[in-house]
Amino acid sequence: MSQLFHYSSQVGSRLNWLIERLCALLVALMVIDVWLGVLSRYVFNLQITWTEEIARYLMIWAALLAVSCGVHYREHIGLMIILEKMPRTIHRWFRLFLDIVGLGFFLILLYYGINLSRDGASQYATIFNMTMVVPYAAVPCSAALASLQMLLVALKDFARVTGKDGAPC
Amino acid sequence: MLVLGCFFGLMLVGLPIGYVLGLSGMLGMYQAGGMEFMNMAAQRFFAGLDLFTFMAMPFFILAGEIMNRSGITERIVAFADALVGYLRGGMAHSNMLASVLFAGMTGAAVSDAAALGNTLVPAMVKQGYSRPFACAVTAAGSIIGPTIPPSNLMVIYGSLMGVSIAGLFAAGILPGLLICLFCMALIAAFGRRWKLPKSGQRPSLLRIIKAFRSSIIALTMPVIILGSIIFGLTTPTEAAAIAVFYALFVGVVVYRAISFADIVEMLMRTARITGVVFLIIAAASILGWWLTFMQIPQKITAFFLSTSSNPQVIIAMILALLLFIGMFMDINAALIILAPVLAPLTLKIGMDPVHAGVMIVLALNISLMTPPVGACLFVLASITGEKIERITMSLWPFILVETTVLIIIAFWSKLTLFVPRLLGL
Repeated sequence: MSQLFHYSSQVGSRLNWLIERLCALLVALMVIDVWLGVLSRYVFNLQITWTEEIARYLMIWAALLAVSCGVHYREHIGLMIILEKMPRTIHRWFRLFLDIVGLGFFLILLYYGINLSRDGASQYATIFNMTMVVPYAAVPCSAALASLQMLLVALKDFARVTGKDGAPC
Repeated sequence: MLVLGCFFGLMLVGLPIGYVLGLSGMLGMYQAGGMEFMNMAAQRFFAGLDLFTFMAMPFFILAGEIMNRSGITERIVAFADALVGYLRGGMAHSNMLASVLFAGMTGAAVSDAAALGNTLVPAMVKQGYSRPFACAVTAAGSIIGPTIPPSNLMVIYGSLMGVSIAGLFAAGILPGLLICLFCMALIAAFGRRWKLPKSGQRPSLLRIIKAFRSSIIALTMPVIILGSIIFGLTTPTEAAAIAVFYALFVGVVVYRAISFADIVEMLMRTARITGVVFLIIAAASILGWWLTFMQIPQKITAFFLSTSSNPQVIIAMILALLLFIGMFMDINAALIILAPVLAPLTLKIGMDPVHAGVMIVLALNISLMTPPVGACLFVLASITGEKIERITMSLWPFILVETTVLIIIAFWSKLTLFVPRLLGL
């Protein structure tokens, strides 16, 4: 069990480290892109319209990738009223159940997200002749990452035991 | 029925609200049209986020983070303290005033509560206030943040309901100030009764000017943001991007308090906070499809109208519903689910869309500090180590006072609409 704990927390943290930095980069690009838009509109008086669309897709990618970081840190919170009052042994199993339900959500989203991206191949964004696959792919990518992090965090928290009675350490 | 059962059941057992919204929405789609309809889940998930105006949210979060990191919080607190700190209960008053000054920089109550909770609560306890009271004052003040613009909730409401965000921002100013005024009156009343600490003499004009000068750079930011949005120079998103630029300039060039590593960290935090909110928004738009498909808003409107034809009664019922739901549900989720349901109803009874928006946002803001689920309460409890129950005991007079303000706002539309009308919005 302790090895499983160690392994899943390691993989989760490393993956998260990478995704967090990728998100930071995307947010930075988004900020710079909107600055560009403002500059071009108000200072240079140009009619550039692509900044807005790029910014939107950057935002969606950044926010959706960051969903997996939220899963990693357990920042997506729900009502704790019932969960808090449970005895520890049941709590551990119940949290596993909730994690599996959450995993189910992301897996369904992954499946239909792939469909969505496939359909996107025949649709075109208004800029650069880009197909909608590029922005749509954020949904399955995010769902895949979130599923993985969900699995890892569920394993990690479930495996975090010391004694035979199943009490968390 | 099954969908609603799934929604409330999963929420009650503690599944994160984003997953609850998504799963029950998917179930609704499946019920409505089988697997074929399920394709819409991913579509709605994407389309729910695909709005340029939403981008104002991460920008306001980022700007707030930067300002906070550059030591703006201390300067603003010092300025507020110079203005009202000499009164009885001075630190409580300056906490309230600092919330107002802070409100023009951040869009979310939680960040206000965190920033002021970190600095002011320990300082107040040191001066002899009880910790629960210090937390209560901070919590009560933090909801001024998302009432006075910029406000992430108003961005969401305006984007989803097609109401002018500039109008909502302008209309939020007076209600925010009114909350501050009422709470300060309450503190003054407590001060006399409980002999709250006083921190000495009335400051000289010179000290006030000095404190003002050291925080002027920070105080300019809300003027830039609001000015450019309200006077229609820029869109809210562009104004928010300008705010980020300004905050960066202040933090890096003027105060020299921010390094490259800080910037990376703040960008990551912004992405993470945005990710949590956006998952809720995206998932809610899956459930939103089902609500529309089942014509739930129309049914609820019909139900409300069948109970009474008096607009005042309907408004009272809306307020009660918002405050009740807000006690249990995350504020963003509540707004996204309830706004499309309630907005048509408010139109039907002849409310101005901007007035209705401010009322709905304010009601949900108040719910940020009502137990059992109050984000500001959680943040303060975790920062200060105080028990939620004990904070609540000190907090309820403030909740009462703020609910009074809410009622005034709801039934006196001229007050809310005064500023927007004045500006021709």
